[in-house]
Amino acid sequence: MSPPDPTFLQGVKSACTGATGTPFVLLGNFEVEDEWARDEVGLPVFGGRASTAIVNRMDEFTVLLAGPGDHVVLKSAPDSDYLNYLRQLGIELPGILLTDEHDPAATVSEDALRSPRLLAALRSLAGQGAYLLPHGMSVLEQQLCELTGLAPALPAVSVVKAVNSKIYSRRVATDLGLPQAVGWECETVDEFVAAAGEAARAVAAGRRVGVKDAYGVSGKGIMVVDDLRRMDQLVRMVTRRAERTGDQRVALVIEEWADKALDLNYHFTVARDGSVRFDFVKEALTENGVHKGHRFPARLSTEHAAQLVVASERLGARLAADGFHGVVGVDAITTTDGGLLPVLEINARNNMSTYQTGLQERFMGPDSVALARQYDLRLTGPVTFAGLADRLGDLLFDRERGTGLVVNNFATVNAATPEPGDTRPYVGRLYGLLLARTQQELTDLDNAVVAAVQKETVHV
Amino acid sequence: MNATTVETGNEQIVSVIVTALEEVLRQELTDITVETRLFDDLNLDSTSVLALLMTLEDALDTQVDPESLEQAHLESVGSLAAFLAESR
Repeated sequence: MSPPDPTFLQGVKSACTGATGTPFVLLGNFEVEDEWARDEVGLPVFGGRASTAIVNRMDEFTVLLAGPGDHVVLKSAPDSDYLNYLRQLGIELPGILLTDEHDPAATVSEDALRSPRLLAALRSLAGQGAYLLPHGMSVLEQQLCELTGLAPALPAVSVVKAVNSKIYSRRVATDLGLPQAVGWECETVDEFVAAAGEAARAVAAGRRVGVKDAYGVSGKGIMVVDDLRRMDQLVRMVTRRAERTGDQRVALVIEEWADKALDLNYHFTVARDGSVRFDFVKEALTENGVHKGHRFPARLSTEHAAQLVVASERLGARLAADGFHGVVGVDAITTTDGGLLPVLEINARNNMSTYQTGLQERFMGPDSVALARQYDLRLTGPVTFAGLADRLGDLLFDRERGTGLVVNNFATVNAATPEPGDTRPYVGRLYGLLLARTQQELTDLDNAVVAAVQKETVHV
Repeated sequence: MNATTVETGNEQIVSVIVTALEEVLRQELTDITVETRLFDDLNLDSTSVLALLMTLEDALDTQVDPESLEQAHLESVGSLAAFLAESR
């Protein structure tokens, strides 16, 4: 299949820079929320060494979003066999720039900022009119623009941060009259204590509520509460902190948990001139609130799909009025009573679904069904792409056949490799897009990949 | 539950941690030792650590200040037990 004209990315370029041919430098600074949350008071976040290292290597997703005239900045060179595999699929790769040093505990932006050689290369690209398109815009990427002269494709950090708060999402949904779960936005300890009291009544009545950090990312900064004791503990934790620090600010949201039928992620692009392009809707796969992948086309009624298009137009217009331009993903759900809650949260940054667009355009036909997912691995040593490809064999995507697994991030497989001498097993993560002709074929393919990658590794 | 608690001096706390982990992960845990790693071996994530801390606050009748908890304290069952013993 040939990609559409203009492609998804060309549309983003047009929206953010006014021209479809603007060269981009893409930066996969995943979990940019950590930067936005730096001056905010939310829920405590805990991370292990391995999960941090893996998230930081999600930077490699940019390789498949960028076009041949673009560049990406990565923390270390991709496996050469992986790049050859992508080329053999007919994918035109972007230029790849590397940070001078690679600290597994640092984001690609942190590594980039202390990379004189990389910064010189970026200055040269800035001279040729390149724009920086980060995963999301924070002070670090703004510094990178200032240091290199790259024009930012996204608006100022203050705007981007403001529209990514879950408090903003709820208030905009209220302003626009879009249905949402019963909930409360809390910006002070007193507001939180009062909201927790209200939410406790829902809990006492047998309902569950979620307490969310306004800048929490998937699986972090969220607590589902289904007993009063837990709610009391959260209130005590928040008030204790305020007493200790004298800081009465919080950035939290409490929401009643709706009875979900399907998780959804829909995506649109807001242009500098305020126009809005609806991009797609996908089913989101989650496990205990943690993002695990997507399924598309979404198994959604025409009526709900139409409602999401309308919601995109209205949310996009509001975001534009508030000074934002760029890509936006919104999490939504359908409910077991047949309803639709179109705004769980607005993510005005690249979403996981954003990075699948290039493969979608190139390899998905009208009859294809797709599953984007991650395979959690337990490893005893580094894995090469060639070794993995041997193991997967015919399960890998074949252009003639039009089905199979396309690996869309290999760096995360070996990201958490421990220091030499540490022989304990460790975790890795393989990301892939599976394409098939039927749902059954997709399920069979997924199961076969699980079996194959588990043979490669030590089974948990 | 079969926690190996040799040489920690925190046997009771280790035992409470294992019970709390079983509650948070909703599964019976066998062969847990003080060296069992919370993230790498038990696949805890940020949310489950917060739930674990709250469960431990209840079980040990203590208060945990999340901001004083460093990554090293969450490395293993043993390091968490040592942190809790010190903060009691």
